[in-house]
Amino acid sequence: MKSSILRAGVALACALGLAACGGGDGDQYLTGTIESGVTKDGLVLTNNGGDDLAVPANATGFQFSKRISTDDQFNIQVKSYPSNVKTCTIVNGSARANYYTIAQIRMSCEIKTHKLVIAINGLTTNGLILVNGTDKQTIAANETSREIAPVYEDGAYGITVLQQPTGQTCRVSGGSSGNGSGIMGSTDLVNSVVVTCS
Amino acid sequence: MTFSFARGALALAAMLTLASCGGGKATFPINVTVYNVLYPGLVLSTNGQDVAVNPGTDKTQPVNVVFPNQIEYGQAYDVVPKGQVNLVGGTFPKHQTCAVPQEYPYNLPTSGTAGQLAKIQVYYICSINTYQLAGKVTGLRGTGLVLANGSTALTVAVAPVLDATTSAPTGADVALTMSPVAYGATYGVTVLTQPTGQTCTVSGGANGNGTGIMDDAAEAANGVTNLVIACANNPA
Repeated sequence: MKSSILRAGVALACALGLAACGGGDGDQYLTGTIESGVTKDGLVLTNNGGDDLAVPANATGFQFSKRISTDDQFNIQVKSYPSNVKTCTIVNGSARANYYTIAQIRMSCEIKTHKLVIAINGLTTNGLILVNGTDKQTIAANETSREIAPVYEDGAYGITVLQQPTGQTCRVSGGSSGNGSGIMGSTDLVNSVVVTCS
Repeated sequence: MTFSFARGALALAAMLTLASCGGGKATFPINVTVYNVLYPGLVLSTNGQDVAVNPGTDKTQPVNVVFPNQIEYGQAYDVVPKGQVNLVGGTFPKHQTCAVPQEYPYNLPTSGTAGQLAKIQVYYICSINTYQLAGKVTGLRGTGLVLANGSTALTVAVAPVLDATTSAPTGADVALTMSPVAYGATYGVTVLTQPTGQTCTVSGGANGNGTGIMDDAAEAANGVTNLVIACANNPA
């Protein structure tokens, strides 16, 4: 009799113990660091296909709302990208959870770039050098356009004359600011920036 | 007789073997690998020895050097750019500064004791020096001025100086600091967004229009500090 009460007590204790472990919330937050490339809203991450997490612009990290337990499998994926992002890379985004694995999750996103083609009018001599910051472009006589290094979407550009061509003077105009500079939109920028030489 | 001769020979052989073990301590060469050496001038120093590290024909490849004299087991070494004390100063390549790499497995200490590890191997990596690109904004009264150096680095927003009591813009000069520019790189400062009610024009820099090259002259002057962004009210 005594022993059967004890047995029942042990069974109850076991059941309670299991319930405490098995309950929906685990003991660890699933977090990661964002190294670069999230400059706009729109990023949504999922864990095991659910628990959608919207990550705002300029976030340096993320944390899923549902906690997970040690040894739970997690698998973090991108459900939707910010409009200016080409792709994101998640490092160590899939593993069984423990204090080590959940501290190793990193993500970086690659921002889209677009072509920038400068229209050149009236250039008849050599010597013209245009720059977009550190991007240096030497333009030969009679060139009518020049594609420079691609520019990040939503990133700035500003074309200036480093060196005038022999016997001519060139001016830069156009771009979204009108003076040869502006912000790159979501499409290639062709012949919007204009260099006029006379 | 033959037996004792053999014994004598054996003893002699044993003595010779022992002598070869006991003669002097093991010595260690000090090996150094330096990445991204683009210009000559780097001198590394340890244990009273110097070694020059100059760029190779293929500048993408690291430069390997060994100090002229090996050091003995137990002797301490500390390989630093010559003259460097507590990470300050030192004899670097022209236009460059060198430090211990941050990435594994190259982030090893540059000092230690010979014999701690099987091999003494020190790593350095050099980077191109950057210099300031700075000046002032004059006559600024409107808000919203944003300046860019092409697509390089971040844009810089500049706000007008406001009067302490009336909060009205005073038009006083505002110091301007753009992101630093690497030696040898071009720069070209433009107005990305004009302030409300005003138009600003860029002057200064090596070419007078906010454009130039961070060349030897700019390096000697510790950067470009003569940018002037002059802002004037738009005609009513």
